[in-house]
Amino acid sequence: MDPAFIRNFSIIAHIDHGKSTLADRLLEYTGALSEREMMAQVLDSMDLERERGITIKAHAVRLDYKADDGNQYQLNLIDTPGHVDFSYEVSRSLQACEGALLVVDASQGVEAQTLANTYLALHHNLEIVPVINKIDLPSADPDRIREQIETVIGLDASGAVLASAKNGIGVREILESVVHLVPPPKGDPEAPLRALIFDSWFDPYRGVIILLRVVDGRIRMGQKIRLWSNGRAYEVEGLGYQSPKPVPLDELSAGEAGYMHANIKTVSDAQVGDTITDDRKPAATPLPGFEQIKAMVFAGLYPVESHEHGMLREALEKLRLNDSALSFEPENSVALGFGFRCGFLGLLHMEIVQERLEREFNIDLITTAPGVRYKVTLRGGEVVEVDNPTRFPNPADIETIEEPIIEATVITREEYLGEILKLLEEKRGTQKKFEYIGTGRVLLAYELPLNEIVLDFYDRLKSASRGYASLDYHLAGHRVSPMVKLDVLVAGDPVDALSMIVHREFAYDRGKVLIERLRKLIPRQMFEVALQAAIGSKVIARETIPAIRKNVLAKCYGGDITRKRKLLEKQKEGKRRMKRVGSVEIPQEAFLAVLQVGGSDSED
Amino acid sequence: MSGVYISHPFCNQKCTFCNFASDVLPAAWEPRYVAELEAEIAAHKWEWTPDTVYFGGGTPNRLDPDALRRLLDLVPGGPWREVTLEAAPGNITPARARAWRTAGITRVSLGVQSFDAQELRHTGRKHTAEVVAREIEVLRDAGLGNINIDLIAGLAYQAADSWRRSLEHCARIAPPHVSVYILEVDEDSRLGREILVQGARYGAAHMPSGDEAADFYECAVDFLADIGIRRYEISNFARPGCESLHNLKYWRLEPYVGFGVDAHSFDGRMRTQNTDSVEDYLARSSRGEPLWIEQAERAANEHLWVGLRLMEGVPREPRLDRFIPLGLLEPVGANVRLTRRGVLVSNEVFAQLL
Repeated sequence: MDPAFIRNFSIIAHIDHGKSTLADRLLEYTGALSEREMMAQVLDSMDLERERGITIKAHAVRLDYKADDGNQYQLNLIDTPGHVDFSYEVSRSLQACEGALLVVDASQGVEAQTLANTYLALHHNLEIVPVINKIDLPSADPDRIREQIETVIGLDASGAVLASAKNGIGVREILESVVHLVPPPKGDPEAPLRALIFDSWFDPYRGVIILLRVVDGRIRMGQKIRLWSNGRAYEVEGLGYQSPKPVPLDELSAGEAGYMHANIKTVSDAQVGDTITDDRKPAATPLPGFEQIKAMVFAGLYPVESHEHGMLREALEKLRLNDSALSFEPENSVALGFGFRCGFLGLLHMEIVQERLEREFNIDLITTAPGVRYKVTLRGGEVVEVDNPTRFPNPADIETIEEPIIEATVITREEYLGEILKLLEEKRGTQKKFEYIGTGRVLLAYELPLNEIVLDFYDRLKSASRGYASLDYHLAGHRVSPMVKLDVLVAGDPVDALSMIVHREFAYDRGKVLIERLRKLIPRQMFEVALQAAIGSKVIARETIPAIRKNVLAKCYGGDITRKRKLLEKQKEGKRRMKRVGSVEIPQEAFLAVLQVGGSDSED
Repeated sequence: MSGVYISHPFCNQKCTFCNFASDVLPAAWEPRYVAELEAEIAAHKWEWTPDTVYFGGGTPNRLDPDALRRLLDLVPGGPWREVTLEAAPGNITPARARAWRTAGITRVSLGVQSFDAQELRHTGRKHTAEVVAREIEVLRDAGLGNINIDLIAGLAYQAADSWRRSLEHCARIAPPHVSVYILEVDEDSRLGREILVQGARYGAAHMPSGDEAADFYECAVDFLADIGIRRYEISNFARPGCESLHNLKYWRLEPYVGFGVDAHSFDGRMRTQNTDSVEDYLARSSRGEPLWIEQAERAANEHLWVGLRLMEGVPREPRLDRFIPLGLLEPVGANVRLTRRGVLVSNEVFAQLL
């Protein structure tokens, strides 16, 4: 196809601002799907995606559109994941495009996520087409939103399309804008092949399916291709585009987007951002911007039933086939037995993995508190990376500890500012930017330790702002911080699964809150149990669980000994499900207590 | 020797803490039930000659004295050493009491639960301390002085002083036998459901803590001992020689046979339970089907975890020794028994002996 008639674009929108609905409308309007075939939110194909209204995997759908100028265009809608955990994937999807629709809710306005992705799109020199959506709602105020887009993002929004994806208003105008405003792709069809991988997943019948954008040259069926990062060569076995149903083709040329499979066994061999080139006539340089995806958040996953350890390993292996960002290695806890130390892109990614393990593989899990990876410089000069509190080096051997820092953008309403600033200060944030962006809205940029985000930041932000705050962040390096390992001792024995790494100044408060929570969660035992929080050998908080006073069946009913036996058996079974540490039985909920001690315990 | 248990699950009102099969049931069922009960007893093949009979419920004092007599006439071995009738206070008249005596009743167990008006109100009971005192006199005058008084520790609104007043009432009445139960809040009871939803009905918002209930219980143990009523089983207290002969059979693993709804039988080997629904009992009876719904061989270590409920204890065995240094069991002669603390945490011991 002549690149002059190709347009590659994506949609940038905040959750709930109507991205999926708009995508569905575009598909419907261009006849990619008949109305009968439409199911709400066609593109969010995974159950979890549909339920949560988020997109985890990218898509590339080809729309055939006959424009008002009489020409037939090939529009490739490249849909991107919509969550900060997946910002690297987002940047790769944007790199595959020349333009983006910026969809903003006509009443709610610009949110942090939208802002971050728009900046990312501008960084990739994309042409941004503003779309003000939901204009038919009574609260819609397109003039105000237009002004906000201009002041906050610095985009000329005078030509913004007014639309209602839900009711099909403005769809044609959007398509015309794409044709006229988004530039055609620039690549050279005769140059050596360079294609960008912007998503990949595992299919049990065909191996890894790659979504790609051909930048230069052509890719053909049967062609021997090479992956730049690992130098491996494969033969193209399948090629085509999604409409969204797969449509096979013999060739994709410069400017086009589509899918490809080549009997690649795991997604880690076909990583997002990598360059595909011709094995016989390779390009001189790869496409820019490839990075190995790195886990940022780490937690231990343990099966509740210890005999399900093998099942958990198999399930993780299966998930990893499709998720190269998930990492895991065996871990052994005195308290929880055999499990896995897992690495995730972020908290949402962690939640998705947990949910899939429980839902698709039926494994009950205990998850230890999520943490981050620290760079520890030892006195001898050696640098080690530590993401597991139990492997934290002896404090006497540590020269410095560096913790990962993020730059976070928060957009909220003025009335919640006080609470949010308090929260950001409490989370050790440093203010970088404070900006009124019109009509009572404020943009905050803060540097924050990632470690402060992974515990309960989202929930706290949500409650501090009654849901009217949006957050985006990206990694912004490391900073030396006085971190310490906080241990929990139950009846004098350290419980490894409850250890965490915290800033020294917070250790006292967190230890206190954690111990108070544990006191409520651990049932009384036959003897008094001391709970202690300690840094090294120094105890910083202490609580006592008194011994059981009463556990007696006093009722006697006509010689019903069987009932008594059943009650005793039930008690015995309850104990069996607890984890025994030393002589103390600890219920599973206690291990989750650590998750809720990031800040104040105001809900108590 | 063996015992007989006869169940009458009909009540005037359902107590707020009750999760038993007994209930306020259609009045028309009661005569049919008694007729089927008679048929069940009549059809029984007696392996032993019983020497105790226990009418439990429910509220078996709703039974007509003639019905009581007819039921007893079907039980071999009379006159028996002990024939207990459970009774709810209220409406115990001199004529009734005399009729019970004539029918063969020798002992009355009164479901007093508390002498405190506020506590009683929230249980759903209708009697008062004065009614109880008066009716005890009525029973004694009729020759039914062998009386048990049930008390419950841990009722809504109960406090150290109200509990002590109930015990003092008890001391004035001076019954030969007292039962003290620690309230077990069952989620199948109205009170239990109310507590689960954090409601306020039935006094659910004013429940003493478990530790307080334990304190009340221990207070009762000491108080009753001071007036000569000693604990012989976790929940049973009596003047020496006035222990319930029937109830002792449960703890000593002696056989008993139960008739009626939710009645339990033990023949020395098998434990059997009758259906726990009156409707089902009537249906099964009319179709001539077996009335039992569950049968299981006795558990191997029952003699330990059942026997240890008695303060006389059980013969010492090596596997019990580990509880002695923990302060839960103590040797007494050739036996071991629960210590004072061991009683209150006895489930912890029993669960390990299952």
